[in-house]
Amino acid sequence: MALGDCWKSLSWFYYQYILVTALYMLEPWERTVFNSLLISVAGMAVYTGYVFMPQHIMAILHYFEVVQ
Amino acid sequence: MTESSANKLLNGDACHRTSNGKRSSKNGFVKNHCVFQQPQKYRRPREKNQNVTRNSSLYKKPFSESFEETPLLVAVLTYMGYGILTVFGYLRDFLRYWSIEKCNVAQEKEEQKDFVPLYQDFENFYTRNLYMRIRDNWNRPICSVPGAKMDLVERASHDYNWTFEDTGRVVKDVINMGSYNYLGFAENTGACTDAAIEVTTKYGPGVGSTRCEMGNLDIHEELEQLVTRFLGVESSLAFGMGFATNSMNIPALTGKGCLILSDELNHASLVLGARLSGSPIRVFKHNNMISLEKLLRDAISHGQPRTHRPWKKILIVVEGIYSMEGSIVRLPEVIALKKRYKAYLYLDEAHSIGALGPNGKGVVDYFGLDPKDVDIMMGTFTKSFGAAGGYIGGKKELIDYLRRHSHSALYATSMSPPVIQQIITSMKIIMGEDGTTLGADRLRQLSENTTYFRRRLCEMGFIIYGNDDSPVVPLMLYMPAKIGAFGREMLKRNIGTVVVGFPATPIIESRARFCLSAAHTREMLDTALDAANEVGDLLQLKYSRREQPRPSLGWMSEENLFD
Repeated sequence: MALGDCWKSLSWFYYQYILVTALYMLEPWERTVFNSLLISVAGMAVYTGYVFMPQHIMAILHYFEVVQ
Repeated sequence: MTESSANKLLNGDACHRTSNGKRSSKNGFVKNHCVFQQPQKYRRPREKNQNVTRNSSLYKKPFSESFEETPLLVAVLTYMGYGILTVFGYLRDFLRYWSIEKCNVAQEKEEQKDFVPLYQDFENFYTRNLYMRIRDNWNRPICSVPGAKMDLVERASHDYNWTFEDTGRVVKDVINMGSYNYLGFAENTGACTDAAIEVTTKYGPGVGSTRCEMGNLDIHEELEQLVTRFLGVESSLAFGMGFATNSMNIPALTGKGCLILSDELNHASLVLGARLSGSPIRVFKHNNMISLEKLLRDAISHGQPRTHRPWKKILIVVEGIYSMEGSIVRLPEVIALKKRYKAYLYLDEAHSIGALGPNGKGVVDYFGLDPKDVDIMMGTFTKSFGAAGGYIGGKKELIDYLRRHSHSALYATSMSPPVIQQIITSMKIIMGEDGTTLGADRLRQLSENTTYFRRRLCEMGFIIYGNDDSPVVPLMLYMPAKIGAFGREMLKRNIGTVVVGFPATPIIESRARFCLSAAHTREMLDTALDAANEVGDLLQLKYSRREQPRPSLGWMSEENLFD
């Protein structure tokens, strides 16, 4: 079933992420701390992009004189 | 020694000293007479090995080593992993300091806190924060003979490896890929054990004295004569401990006015012995004959550091097989250099005796050289003979001198009789003197196992270091989490491996080290290889970027075509 395969594949990717960032060696609470920091930083980046992207795009188009 | 004779190179050419005392290696004259010329060509950057065979006429058979370079992405990710671990290490140390978390390391008492600290916090940072987390991969208790298969005591830890408890269960028939059991003599049945039991009933296990006082038994003499015959030297001396052989005998051989040239990756016992001797030590790049020659030439042309007197003697210290790299020393070239520059050679055959060579007589036998060319042949009985101890072989005058002046010969307790008998029996088996072909069979089995195992691992795509003929197979892991993961996953599949990290290896080059044995059958190797394949896929360890299959053409490989 597709959901089971999807879960297995996600679980494999999570395992690779844990190995590469050496979180495999850390205790569960340390992993939580690191993951929450990472997600909050990524979330803030996405939110900033969402808020400022229209302004940036208008500025670029204005510079290239596509729009007044 | 007058100034003018010190300026002459030993081959009779005069060395002109420049007027402002600059190093004569900048003088074009000195370079032209090097035995091994630096070639002027572009080298492919993929292989880290800059030590390609230049003087191919000295080698009777192809010498193929490979040390594939670390892929850049893997190196960056490894550093990142260590960075994250370091940050969390600081965090945990902070919590321990402010007593938010229980501290399990040694600490001083409250009353002593105002004095000079006894325990420096930072020194053990690595041990506390990185090693402890994956400590269950090391010091695993073995409860059977560490032969081709062994039984392990199962341990569990409830506080993340600070303390262990036995669960009461035993993991049975774990394939042993970690013991230095090259010829399979680590067994509790057979001719060696029966002879050892007989000798124990005759002499008892303890000796109760040093060799020079009352501890010299007749089997000690028998052992030394046997070792002399085995190696093809004039005389030999046996010690109770291999580490002590190196660290206690090098101080007896060199002193203040002598120079020691030691390989970059020499074992801790050789480094300790060299430091204890008090001689200046100069290090040459691993297995790099150009570096060694340059050091020799500089040493002879400049002499001692401030007085410029000639050195009393120059001792080159190398090992037969380097166990962390799996590389074999370039002995023909080292002997050519030694003869030309009149230096002495100390060869530590800890891993290569019994394991290399058509007759099992070590790296000298492997290259087909004369044992009389090596001044001091040292080795251990721990690896291929299934016992414990070390020996030194050489000229009669040297061994007589060592008997009187070596710390180990004078103060250390003599070897225990059953251990000696194990060595005697196993050595006779290897030489074929017991009447069976067991020795020859085992030697052949070991070299077949080595070739098969290395070829299969390289085909799978792992990065394997070292020479194609060495029974020590390091498999590169690089990332710190994979060190722990590899050890544990292999144990789950019933294979016991040794994983090594910093400080035994450079920080990013952590590895798993397989030690092959003549006791491993083809089925055991296949099981181990399948497990390694599975774990390699699971942990994504197949970093090798070589074209498959790797050409094993030795002489005809691309580097040599340019010569």
